[in-house]
Amino acid sequence: MTQVKAWAGYLLPKLGQFLFVVVATYTLVFVLVHFLPGDPLIAALAAKGGASTVIDPAELDALRVQYGLDGTLWQQYFGHLIAAAQGDLGISIATGVPVTEMIGRAFPFSVQIASLALLFGVTSAVLITFLAYAAPWPWLRQLLLQIPPFGIAVPAFLSGLLLISVFAFTLGWLPSAGARSFDAAILPAITLALPVGALFFQVFSSAVLEAQNSPYVFTAVAKGVPPRRIFTKHLLRNALLPSITILGLLIGYLAGGTAVVETVFSRDGIGRMTVNAVLARDINVIQGVVLVVGAIYALVNLLVDVAYGFIDPRTRIGGGVPSRARLGAKK
Amino acid sequence: MTNLRKPGFVLGLIIIAVAIVASLAPQLLATHDPFESVATDRLLPPSAQYLFGTDNLGRDLYSRVIYGAALSLLSASLAVVVGVVVGAIVGLISGFVGGRTDFIIMRFVDVLIAVPGVLLALIVVASLGFGPVSLALGVGLGAAGSFARVMRSQVLRIRSEEYVEAARTLGVRSPAILVQHVLPNAARPVIAMAALEMGTAILSVSALTFLGFGAPPPAPEWGALVSAGRDYVATNPGLSIIPGAVILVVVLAVNRVARSIGGDE
Repeated sequence: MTQVKAWAGYLLPKLGQFLFVVVATYTLVFVLVHFLPGDPLIAALAAKGGASTVIDPAELDALRVQYGLDGTLWQQYFGHLIAAAQGDLGISIATGVPVTEMIGRAFPFSVQIASLALLFGVTSAVLITFLAYAAPWPWLRQLLLQIPPFGIAVPAFLSGLLLISVFAFTLGWLPSAGARSFDAAILPAITLALPVGALFFQVFSSAVLEAQNSPYVFTAVAKGVPPRRIFTKHLLRNALLPSITILGLLIGYLAGGTAVVETVFSRDGIGRMTVNAVLARDINVIQGVVLVVGAIYALVNLLVDVAYGFIDPRTRIGGGVPSRARLGAKK
Repeated sequence: MTNLRKPGFVLGLIIIAVAIVASLAPQLLATHDPFESVATDRLLPPSAQYLFGTDNLGRDLYSRVIYGAALSLLSASLAVVVGVVVGAIVGLISGFVGGRTDFIIMRFVDVLIAVPGVLLALIVVASLGFGPVSLALGVGLGAAGSFARVMRSQVLRIRSEEYVEAARTLGVRSPAILVQHVLPNAARPVIAMAALEMGTAILSVSALTFLGFGAPPPAPEWGALVSAGRDYVATNPGLSIIPGAVILVVVLAVNRVARSIGGDE
């Protein structure tokens, strides 16, 4: 019973935080769209029919009702919020298709490359960290540690085009575009994995280095435990917490990165859909995408918090306050 | 000063200096008119006459990259300025006022950080229209959240320092304390962060111009150059890879120098 209570005390505030982030994301987007100069509907219609498009006022009013852009700001704010809670994100101005349906159709393609990218990125970051840890010569270690900052500085369109040029056109191993087969997902996933892996590496390697200087690793080394065992038993375990924390941030990176990567590889997906929506000034679609991405981000952070409670009991017992005895023992 | 003995730092400085010259006085470095097409010299490989080769309209790619520096680097700089100014003001107010105001402001800052920067920039661009200035505003807004957070933590640290308490005891008004004591002492970490943000801003701006949200076509923005060369990746990969590599080199140089500035403290 006390166990249940402790969990409820731990989870309920986190759940509240989750809802807050989603509503606040919605609010931020709403404020940006409605308080920046310019009428979103007129901009979208001009993008559709050319700059000289003339629409008579009565028709414009009808279109406002159709796209949910009528009424006072408060009516729009709460109207859209309630609709969004029921899964209705409005209608695309450019195509007339419900936004929820568009996102639902594009989503699986993006998830495919994003999850592959996460897998590639995290695996190579762990591998490079291990190699740097086990490297017998300092220069090799330095060289390995220099690779990830490079990954952050490479523009995704450059790495993508290089991969296309080498693996699709010169060697002919993998397709350069499309989203129909699994092969077509490999190059985009590698492109996306570069910044994601580099970001993960920064957190992971510094956590490993920190653990490496700890007394328990010193003891293990003194006992003659082989390096690979120290890496898996001591370093990997202690680097787990900070690594999980950064997952939420990586999701944000992945969501932003798909815009460029899906354009480079001419792949269907959330990113390319968003780019097309911006080109068409289709504000309904952009709002929908940002809200969905914000909700996913908040959901991942919620799961990370729950995982924290499982992995490290200190964060759970006593409503989130670390237990004194355990902390004292650690010091 | 010890930085000047490190070859990486010096190389970074030289690259940045060239980039600044290119954006302020491109005619000093360019070898051709960036907009002039020579019909007989289309899609040529790099040579002594055309250092980076020519594009599909017979324009000199090298000169276009040089002339593109102004647009690309100025929007990136503007983005950093927007991010620093907006973030610093928000963080300063939040940290100095404290209490409930602080709590509410920081929750919105959390959200600003939570929404991926690219998406935030896309909303701004879609609302304001395309072009270098709205790009810069969008990218800057995306960075403002982290600046606000750093600024606030600095203010919280400085607020309890003895010289601030002394000034308060002497009856100095809050705005004066903010400007005379808090701001100068909080500036340094924020400046170090701004230097690091410059590399990210160049990447974001070039990504957005690559997607087609920058200045309209003949303008030689770096991301737009890469995008224009995409149709020829199979036959002339250099057309998009060379401008892309230029972006990479400049970002690496900026990051290298920024890290040294940050590590100097």
